[in-house]
Amino acid sequence: MTDHSREECILMFEKLSEYIDNELDGPTCEEIEKHAMDCIACKICLETLRKTVILCQSLKQEEKPVSGEFSKKLLDFIKNNSAPLVLQK
Amino acid sequence: MQNCLNPKIKHDDDYELIAKINSGKTELFHELVRRYEKKLYNFGLRMCGNVQDAEDMVQDSFINVFSYLKDFRYETKFKNWLYHIATNACLKKKRKSKHAPERELSLEEFLPKEGDEIPVRIPEWAYLPLERLLNEELSSVIRNGILAIPEKYRLVLVLRDMEGFSTAETARILNLTAENIKVRLHRARLFLKERIKVYFQND
Repeated sequence: MTDHSREECILMFEKLSEYIDNELDGPTCEEIEKHAMDCIACKICLETLRKTVILCQSLKQEEKPVSGEFSKKLLDFIKNNSAPLVLQK
Repeated sequence: MQNCLNPKIKHDDDYELIAKINSGKTELFHELVRRYEKKLYNFGLRMCGNVQDAEDMVQDSFINVFSYLKDFRYETKFKNWLYHIATNACLKKKRKSKHAPERELSLEEFLPKEGDEIPVRIPEWAYLPLERLLNEELSSVIRNGILAIPEKYRLVLVLRDMEGFSTAETARILNLTAENIKVRLHRARLFLKERIKVYFQND
C-alpha cells in the first residue's frame, strides 16, 4: 500500500462494501474516493470487489424451474400433512 | 412463530390471499405455493447446492408456513416472513448434513499483507464489461465460490446480493443487527473476490 499509513488503508478496506452499496455518508465517501485516487492497492481492492458484487448479482437472473413432479408432491404432502394443524387452530 | 419483521408495512399483495386461507379456504394455499415455490427453490439451490436439499428445504418451509399462517399478523411483507422461515429450514438442513464446516472469517485474512508485492494496475477482469466476462465457466466458479463461503456469511450474501433484500430486511429475516449484516456481507464478498481473483490468475 503506497504513501499511506497501513491504518488508513485498513479503515478504507473495512468500508468498501458499504461504499459500493451507497450506505455511507457524503464525507466518508469523499474520503474513500480521495484515498483510492492516491493508493493503487486500495483502488484495486475497491474495483475488484465492485466487480465481484456485480458478477454475483448477475447470477440472480439464473432461475431454475421447479420440476412438475416435485410441485405435485409438495402440494400432496402439504395437503396430507398440514391440514390437521390448521384445523386445530 | 412470532411475526418479528417489519412493523411498518401497510400493504402486501399476498395479504388478501392469506386472509382468505385463514378464513377457511385452505384449498387456496396452493396459490401461495405457486407464487413462491420457484423463488424459494432457487434460494435453496444457492444455499445448499443440490436439488435434493433444496427440495427438502422448500417442503419444510411450506409445511411450517401452512402450520403457522394463522399467526401471521400482517405487519410485514409475507415474502420476508417466508424467508425467515426458509432460512431456519436451511440452517436445520445444513446442521443435519454437516456440509461445509462453519468457521469465522476475519478481515485480516483478506487484507493485503505487509511486504506483499504492490500491484501496479487494476486487473482486466475488474473493468471488462459483464457481457465480455461472464460465461458458463465463470458462472460455475462463482456458484462454487458462494457454496464454499461459511454458511452464516453465505446466508447474508445470498439474501443481500442474490435475493435482493436490503440490509434492514436481511437483519430482520435473520434476527441480527444491521451492523452485523454489513460485517458478514463484506467478509463473504471478500471471500468470493479471492476465488474470482485466483480463477483469473490461473486463466
